[in-house]
Amino acid sequence: MIPTQWFLILSAILFAIGVCGVLTRKNGITIFMAIELMVNAVNLTFLAYARQFHQLHGLIFVFFVMAIAAAEAAVGLAIFISLFHHRETIDVDEANLMRW
Amino acid sequence: MIEYAVFFFFAAIAVIFALVVILHRNPVVGALSLVASFFALAVMYVLLDAPFLAALQVIVYAGAIMVLFLFVIMLLNLQKQAEEPTRPVQQFVGYAGSAAFGIALVYYLSKYVVLELPASPFVADARTVGVALFESYIFPFEMVSILLLAAIVGALVLSGRGVQTS
Repeated sequence: MIPTQWFLILSAILFAIGVCGVLTRKNGITIFMAIELMVNAVNLTFLAYARQFHQLHGLIFVFFVMAIAAAEAAVGLAIFISLFHHRETIDVDEANLMRW
Repeated sequence: MIEYAVFFFFAAIAVIFALVVILHRNPVVGALSLVASFFALAVMYVLLDAPFLAALQVIVYAGAIMVLFLFVIMLLNLQKQAEEPTRPVQQFVGYAGSAAFGIALVYYLSKYVVLELPASPFVADARTVGVALFESYIFPFEMVSILLLAAIVGALVLSGRGVQTS
């Protein structure tokens, strides 16, 4: 069996890559994909600890995270379509209506 | 031994394709790389003795969610729009900050987290997950179904050109 630490390290690397994508990109859909990457890194951590401690709760949590990621993707992409209809771009710097 | 080879091979695939997602300018290439990264993560789930969730990862994430992303990218015709780079200070803070965060996390994990592997394997197949889901987690399960319904309605309202009220 592969040690749990290695899965945790892989998960940490993927999470850092996701953070980097959110901070450095302007395209809304790419930012969204970076968020999905972070969600998946956290899922990997949940499963690693579920195996480590013989707990089923981690697996159930991954199931719920997947369902909520699906809902989030549907609503978020609908927001981007709506933004594109109004502004002709999905550059997140252009969406400044609610910015002070 | 073969287990370790599989782990390192697919870990490398997951990390490389994740880097392609955040570095490539074209969002279609990014979405397809994300699918590859999710497949590699499904292999990780199999290595963690969770075959049911590996199947869900392939079907729900790589199948449904990423198809939704690709659909929206093609619907908005984003392949031709060139994305401007962000401000240099934002680039620097983003890369340096996330690199420092990642290195600190990896350092902490490899130095201080000591976990003894359990003696017996813990195989969570569909039956185990299903029984837990419909017994102790029945209320959150129903809440998630209502949330998905709300997401469907919200997506329809947001992406339509406004409901005509007569």
